[in-house]
Amino acid sequence: MVTYILRRLLWAAFLVLVVSFLTFVIFYALPSADPAVLRAGARSGNQALLESIRDTLGLDEPWYVQYAKYMERLLFHFDFGFSYRNDASVREQIFDRIPATASLVLGAAVVWIAVGIPVGVVSATRRRSWIDRIAMGAALVAISAPVYWLGLVVLYLFADDIGRFPVFKGSGSYVPLTESPAGWFGSLLLPWLVLAATAAAFYARLLRGNLRDVLSEDYIRTARAKGLRERSVVWRHGVRSAITPVVTLLGLDIGILLGGAILTETVFNIPGVGRLAFSAIRGADLPMIQGTVLIGALFIILANLVVDVLYGFLDPRVRVG
Amino acid sequence: MSRHVWRVLALAVAALTALTWSACGGGDAATGIGAGAPAKGKKGGTLNALFANDLEHIDPGEAFYQPDYMMVFAVHRPLYSFEPTNLEVASPDLAAAPPKLSDGGRTVTVKLKPGVRYGPPVNRTATSADVKYAIERAFTAAVPNGYAPTYFGIVEGAPEPGRKKPTDIKGIETPDEETIVFRLSESSGAFIKALSLPITAPVPEDYAKRYDAETPSQYATHQAATGPYMIEAGKDGRITYEIGKRMTLVRNPNWSAATDFRPAYLDRIELTMGNEDTTVAARQILKGKGLINGDFPPDPPVIKEAVQRRKSQITFAPLGNRYISLNTKVKPLDDVNVRKAIVAASDRNALRLTRGGPIVGDLATHFLAPGQPGFEEAGGMKGPNLDFIQNPDGSMALAAEYMKKAGYASGRYTGSETLTMVGDDSGVGARTAEVFQSQLQKLGFEVDFRQVPHDTMFSKFCNVPEARVAVCPNVGWLPDFADGQAWFDPTFSGESIVPENNSNWPQLDFPAINEAIDDAKKITGQARRDKAWGKIDRMVMAQAPAVPWIWDKQANIASSDVQGAIARWNAQWDLSFTSIK
Amino acid sequence: MTTPGVDARSEAAENRFATETIQSGAVTARTPPQLFWGRLRRDKVALCALGFLVVLALIAIFAPLIVHLAGVPGPNEPDKSTLDSFGLPTGPSGEHPFGVDGIGRDVFARTVYGARVSLEVAILATALSVGIGVIAGMFAGFYRGWVDTAISRGIDVLLAFPILLLAIGIASACSFGRGGSSGCLGGSVKPGLALVILVIAFVNWTYMARIVRGQVLSLREKEFVEAARSLGASKTRIIFREILPNLVAPIIVYTTLIVPQNILFEAALSFLGVGVQPPQASWGKMIADAQGSFDTAWWFMVFPGVALLLTVLAFNLIGDGLSDALDPRSDR
Repeated sequence: MVTYILRRLLWAAFLVLVVSFLTFVIFYALPSADPAVLRAGARSGNQALLESIRDTLGLDEPWYVQYAKYMERLLFHFDFGFSYRNDASVREQIFDRIPATASLVLGAAVVWIAVGIPVGVVSATRRRSWIDRIAMGAALVAISAPVYWLGLVVLYLFADDIGRFPVFKGSGSYVPLTESPAGWFGSLLLPWLVLAATAAAFYARLLRGNLRDVLSEDYIRTARAKGLRERSVVWRHGVRSAITPVVTLLGLDIGILLGGAILTETVFNIPGVGRLAFSAIRGADLPMIQGTVLIGALFIILANLVVDVLYGFLDPRVRVG
Repeated sequence: MSRHVWRVLALAVAALTALTWSACGGGDAATGIGAGAPAKGKKGGTLNALFANDLEHIDPGEAFYQPDYMMVFAVHRPLYSFEPTNLEVASPDLAAAPPKLSDGGRTVTVKLKPGVRYGPPVNRTATSADVKYAIERAFTAAVPNGYAPTYFGIVEGAPEPGRKKPTDIKGIETPDEETIVFRLSESSGAFIKALSLPITAPVPEDYAKRYDAETPSQYATHQAATGPYMIEAGKDGRITYEIGKRMTLVRNPNWSAATDFRPAYLDRIELTMGNEDTTVAARQILKGKGLINGDFPPDPPVIKEAVQRRKSQITFAPLGNRYISLNTKVKPLDDVNVRKAIVAASDRNALRLTRGGPIVGDLATHFLAPGQPGFEEAGGMKGPNLDFIQNPDGSMALAAEYMKKAGYASGRYTGSETLTMVGDDSGVGARTAEVFQSQLQKLGFEVDFRQVPHDTMFSKFCNVPEARVAVCPNVGWLPDFADGQAWFDPTFSGESIVPENNSNWPQLDFPAINEAIDDAKKITGQARRDKAWGKIDRMVMAQAPAVPWIWDKQANIASSDVQGAIARWNAQWDLSFTSIK
Repeated sequence: MTTPGVDARSEAAENRFATETIQSGAVTARTPPQLFWGRLRRDKVALCALGFLVVLALIAIFAPLIVHLAGVPGPNEPDKSTLDSFGLPTGPSGEHPFGVDGIGRDVFARTVYGARVSLEVAILATALSVGIGVIAGMFAGFYRGWVDTAISRGIDVLLAFPILLLAIGIASACSFGRGGSSGCLGGSVKPGLALVILVIAFVNWTYMARIVRGQVLSLREKEFVEAARSLGASKTRIIFREILPNLVAPIIVYTTLIVPQNILFEAALSFLGVGVQPPQASWGKMIADAQGSFDTAWWFMVFPGVALLLTVLAFNLIGDGLSDALDPRSDR
């Protein structure tokens, strides 16, 4: 088990390295713009400043030297460098925004589990009933609706500043949990629902499908034949084994979204990592792009690692493969 | 020198810099609540200014754009600064009186007010040596300042910009703590005007030195205030500016009202950044409490709502122009007839509707805006006698005629060049660009329209001649000072074309115009100057280097409990004069 | 649908489909195609969805004709007379059945033309990602060894990226050109629909590759492949004549799953401003245009949004229908 975890850890570290390298290459090679000019911004007419910036940032060195230095700072000082746009520390800015993204994603995850799993189970056990048909129809619509459009529609309907039925806090109302728990909850309610809608639908569909398969397995028939209560058969035996892929998915989903739920953050004007990354990309703020992409990748890789290791504990066969 | 002379001098001299429109920035000169002397306000309360983007530069030595100034002038005190209703004459601020000129205008002596103290952590009196250091550091690479060489380059011993370390400028003398003397290599009225720029706000060398030793300087995050407000700072003296989120201004405990003309009613000012959805932000301002707009103008739907239902909460501020530059160095726009055809085809009414229609400004027929000296001489509202700028809805027939003159027999462009156009990626600017794109397409042009953020549009494309952008649809000019020189020297003189940070966007380099600009700069006497600059406006327009389409009346909005005052010289709310009812 | 989430979700779905289709593949191999069509024909919902898509395709193909017949101006012709004195758009009317957008362009015409973008993406980006995925997957599964390792690890690396960020990054890195040349890689790649299609294909081929790889790994050990091999068939022949036909069912099922994702991906990129270039109409771009004024002008957010929703829904319904039809245990 220990060797398995070690192997996964090594692989994860290697992945981080490769991702950082590729990000560096992509964002330094693709734009044909001069980073010194980007850094200097509106003052880029000042040639002496440009030279001084090239000097300070080591931009006249070959790219592999630059990359080596970047990695050295990153690995030994956990230093992501400074933003070209405002000279602020990239690390500080990213860490500053993680709470907002985490609030959004974890809250939404609670909602989509709380909705998706019961709906999936009910649909699977009462197949072809009207409940199943309505639930699955709604789920299909939910996975077909773009999240930003859904966000705009619910804002149009329910936001307290522009909505027809002003019941929820609208866009741009985010307050940190530490500032006001009630305000935090109120401002995130709509974003949670919107972000969770698609996921809940997906989880419900997935669980329904898996549970349907599981419930037709022989051991379920055996359990039923033994006279176990149907409820117990479904929940204790059925759901337990059907839910494993759902748990995997949950881990990966959270990992991906923690790196930034760009669309939801954009529509609801939530100051999270995703919007930070997006505006960095639009403004060609290379150190910030690097930082956010790396952090995003880190979350994904970590999520994968956690899921893999959990599987390792749950299912000994995995270790061999 | 008497106040009167100061005023005349100031009027006679042009400021060379002008503020480029900052992110959707706007013009001013208040017509609504900001008009006239600001009413006396109630002391106390918290104001919240909503910003879409971060401030560009918060170091007084670097600040240059409108939103920067909004904050910087509440926190720092340059030698002179403008009272909100005054667009033309700066009042003594850190200075005790108007500057004294001697030696044929080549020696400028300024007396400082005694007892203007820095806020914590410096807590000492600001001296003339601090002003000298503030100017010297602005010549270093660590403190990139755009206008230092332009204005202060004539100070004797002024270095080339981009020094590694601040160097002593011999022409700035500080005989005592309250006197600063500038020795100039030539007399210049522009220099006196520049004493009201934030570069003259004192910076304590002993304290700032270690922050200025870094490139770029870290003084911005540890700055010491002399104004009525200071940026809230932590125990280590580092300001608590949460990039992309907020900055808080609190009262400067060492500020004394007796030394300042600012009433500083508010106790606390929050600047909230990251309100990227400006429509939502504008609505929050209209319906909320204690809110004003920071760096963005309200969108048309909000303007309409405010004008129809909340008249007291919106102010229109006329100043500046907007135009679409046509690069005279790029084929096929190097042909004056092609440019004239484009101007003739452009539907300025449609362009104006993208910003909110007639209420947000008059249709421009040339560059100098109404109320500016030289406006009547340039042709007034009707404009110069040029057929291609006459029809506000555009004339395809006339455009076709000009295209024929340019050698396109069909009256439409049939060449192989694609026009590169770089404009805003959001908001009203994006709409303006898209409308203009459709107008170009009607003339037969293929347009490669690149959408980027507003600041990127300037810094990476339109301000860089090498980028060879053919059409910049989202440019405009907000002069620092009411004089033709500030309107035309940076924008249409061939001598102003520089490889980076260029503001002659059409790259117009027409010998007769260059010569006329050089001559006009030397003219004294307002009436003669106005005539000369008015004539230059006509000469520029005849070359059709751009489509001027609106003389802006920028909308500013505030919550109903805010008694706003607009800084006419900066076209935005003046934080030191605004109060809560 | 949150595109970041899409990836993880489809991964789990992929696992599900992988297991399902292995079984179903085996079953359909024994079942005549008529059975499949028979099942599908009985699925009225899927047939309706198919009908909708046929109509949509016709609309896209004959967009100019339809716009002409409807008597509305073209998609890129702003008409200032449709705006009020504040420049605000007017809603649905006889002249403009869907109203006009923020600069006075007909929303009906733009919605009709927007179908072209979505379908182009649906076809081209999907074809590309399926093509790359199938080839990569077959090579990995058939040759195994270092080929498999290289491809599989490459996929792992790609999956470790925040995909939406990567796509936005590539798309917008290609819009910071200088010296007159826009685009990246020396101006060879320009922003616009083509770039969007390439980006989507680039980030989306991985799932198909994994599924195909898994299928090939199991197929290559099957008797009929062994038989072909012992008869001296060339590798190419084995791959294309023996293995590929058996992959058709899973490929079809999985393709129907990624089509709606690709459509949503394009719309998301365009919504964020890094997709199609103006003035081209795309549903995502139209929704982005409406963002500033959707509370006063609902029509230019609602119509493209509903069009997008219905199109994606139709593809999803067909996908469900197909997988049910290919799944022997389906009790529909």
